[in-house]
Amino acid sequence: MAVPEWLLESQDFAPPVDKDGFINRSILSFMRLLSLVRAQERRGGGLGRLAVNPFFGVLCTLVLIVLVSLSTQLTFVYVVLAYLLVLLCVMPVRDLIATLRISLAVALITALIMLPSFLLGNHYSIIVVPLKVLVTVMAVNILARSAEWGRIITALRRFHVPHLFIFILDITLKYLVMLGEFTLTMLTALKLRSVGKNRSKQTALAGIAGTLFITSREMAEEQYQAMECRGFDGEYKLYDKFRFGLADAVYLLLNVGIVAAFVYLY
Amino acid sequence: MHIPDNYLSPETCAVMGAVMVPVLAVSVKKVKEEISKARMPQLGIGAAFVFLIMMFNIPVPGGTSVHVTGAVLLAALLGPYSAVICLTTALLLQALLFGDGGILALGANTFNMAFVMPFVGYFVYKLIRGRMRSEKGALVGLAIGSYVGLNVSVLFTSLELGLQPLLFHTAAGQPLYCPYPLSITLPAMLIPHLTVAGIAEALFTVAVFSFIKRVSPGMVFEGEQESRGTGPVMGLVVALVCLSPLGLLATGAAWGEWGAGEISEVVTDGEALGFVPLGMQEGFQFEALLPDYSFSGLPEVAGYILSAVIGAALLVIVFRIVASLVRDKSAKNGAHNATQSE
Amino acid sequence: MIELENVSFCYEGNEALRDISLSIDEGESVSLLGANGCGKSTLQKLINGIIFADRGTYLFDGDEISAKTMKDARFAKAFHQKVGFVFQNCDAQLFCASVFDEVAFGPRQMGMDEDSVAARVEECLELLGLQDLRERQPYHLSGGEKKKLAIASVLSLNPQVLVLDEPMNGLDPRTERWLVEFLHELNHAGKTLIISTHDLELVQELSQRAVLFSEDHSLAADLATTQVMDDIELLKRVNLIDEYYHRHAGEGHGHYHIHNYHLE
Repeated sequence: MAVPEWLLESQDFAPPVDKDGFINRSILSFMRLLSLVRAQERRGGGLGRLAVNPFFGVLCTLVLIVLVSLSTQLTFVYVVLAYLLVLLCVMPVRDLIATLRISLAVALITALIMLPSFLLGNHYSIIVVPLKVLVTVMAVNILARSAEWGRIITALRRFHVPHLFIFILDITLKYLVMLGEFTLTMLTALKLRSVGKNRSKQTALAGIAGTLFITSREMAEEQYQAMECRGFDGEYKLYDKFRFGLADAVYLLLNVGIVAAFVYLY
Repeated sequence: MHIPDNYLSPETCAVMGAVMVPVLAVSVKKVKEEISKARMPQLGIGAAFVFLIMMFNIPVPGGTSVHVTGAVLLAALLGPYSAVICLTTALLLQALLFGDGGILALGANTFNMAFVMPFVGYFVYKLIRGRMRSEKGALVGLAIGSYVGLNVSVLFTSLELGLQPLLFHTAAGQPLYCPYPLSITLPAMLIPHLTVAGIAEALFTVAVFSFIKRVSPGMVFEGEQESRGTGPVMGLVVALVCLSPLGLLATGAAWGEWGAGEISEVVTDGEALGFVPLGMQEGFQFEALLPDYSFSGLPEVAGYILSAVIGAALLVIVFRIVASLVRDKSAKNGAHNATQSE
Repeated sequence: MIELENVSFCYEGNEALRDISLSIDEGESVSLLGANGCGKSTLQKLINGIIFADRGTYLFDGDEISAKTMKDARFAKAFHQKVGFVFQNCDAQLFCASVFDEVAFGPRQMGMDEDSVAARVEECLELLGLQDLRERQPYHLSGGEKKKLAIASVLSLNPQVLVLDEPMNGLDPRTERWLVEFLHELNHAGKTLIISTHDLELVQELSQRAVLFSEDHSLAADLATTQVMDDIELLKRVNLIDEYYHRHAGEGHGHYHIHNYHLE
């Protein structure tokens, strides 16, 4: 084997500057995605420590969001805020901080967007819309951080979402992790080899996205074959037990209170 | 591009959601014709693919980066009907589990991004590919298709947002949801997409498509039989696209406490839009924002209780966060000391 | 060249590396041994500057490699040029549309003109026996060809250190044999090699030095390869082998394997 000469010498190389922050930014967003998904895998099935049936979680969150959206009473939004803060109190502190951070961030951005309209003389939007956004984002985050996602998706079944669609959602979630990890590795490989100036950044990213697509299609084919081998014929049935405990009763009662407050204030 | 909740009125969301029902029904039916039922899992994997594509940061000249949607790319790769289902699934997961885009706004978001974008883009792509009938034609069609698809979708987004202050405001004229009229939302959203994001989307779509075409040409959707069905379906699409804003206006008028005459007045009145200055008598009470433990519409006692609940909950939350930070720090210090003492 | 001092790393609350101290000199060839999930891959990622230590320090040629120092893009790029990484999953490492472009990716970034790039790529392809696959799409190559291409694409950067994560995984015996000899040759040419593996048979051919991980993510031993192979109790203790493994000693060459007839 003849080792080429340049390989025997050390490379004399001073890297140029290149504007390739997009690689790091993409890597960061994929890491965030994967850690979100992993965090929920460690969860049980309930709403925080209250262990509420995810079906009630989805139902009540939905009702809450509709009421908040319909309400023109700021007081009602405060009532909902109080209720959500109480829920936050019983959540694991990690989820608590994450929920607060994201909802405050989204509310702040909304407030900034609303700022010019305030200067135009509109005093309603600058306060009410960010507050409503705050409680809505908080409600959804509490739901998403309360239970394992598979159970939240399964809970959709009771809203007469077709089984097949729930099956598709399940598969999406599973492959989101597998393909996400695959993409993260590709982006890391790109980063490690991006030692200088890349004249065709689009080509590199397109290669990653294209490889991602081809891999996903092959995985889909394998998944289909594996399922067919196990007798899958396109019919998909879900089996889960419906739980109702003390926590569910308390949770529902709280939400009935919210609805009552809405009606009272309306 | 993902509209959060409370930027659109619930009525708007309901209308957009209602439009999506037949769209999804037709898509499922079409997809079942195209692929066997047992092959449905590939839709889930397609959804995961497009979800991840939306997370890429695409470089644009100047060193910054933008996100792409990949909607037209997906339509060209899997066909428009599969794209509708994959994109809807991805948007649903983003809204429900990742807090990206509103739950109620899902109808509007799927209408804009899972329906208008892939269909308009695919339509343009097919039109141009059909005329040019060459490898280059496909790529040119895809570039223009993805550019047009994205921008038509943004046009709809800004229409939905821009119509809010016209249709939904308090009796005193203060807008309830997005406060900006069309004269603001249209340029604010369209200009960045027509210039930067649209071009990035087009370049990226073409680059990914040609990579796949080169590596695995068999994986690209070849389209339904030309003779059958596209004409009427496209007609339906165009009709739905045109009708939905009208439906929006109709429900808006029915909902509002004002007549059609007033709407035209507001429209012709242009930018003024009847914002009522501070100190109005009816509707929203600005003073209520800085209450001395009183909330409008609640008895005093209830107001006290509500304030107390918020205050106490906030205290608990602050305490727990501080406690966790202190614990982290002492854990780190402890570990640090331990290593030092070794 | 590589100095790790009391390095620890946690991944989402789980400890992945515990108090690792390790020093590797230029021109060495080191094997990282250990059971699945013991931290071999994590350490390799750390050495490549993909992740950074929570505690402890990592020096490369006297420069600290940390999240802070790697924020400087020029410094990071210079470092990445010096340390090459061959991923376990080659599929994820290859993203270009042709074999040639894949190998040319690095040299092109280093600002070489297209003629020098072509010359270097050709030599790399020849070195790994890939010259006939020049125009093929990496995606459709066989597993062994992909591994070779991944190595070629990293070698074309001419790194000083080559880190390989489980390079023998999924290779047929012939390709495996070829790779062992190739890596030996590369080491002979002066490249520092850090190879993770759990293939006990190949360890002593791959390297003079073996670093053994225990299952609590710390280092259990750092010895000459021949010594590790003698210490069957140590190998059992880190759960790399079980009682069915035994050794046939030869002159300066022994190997572990399992006989079917022991499983009655």
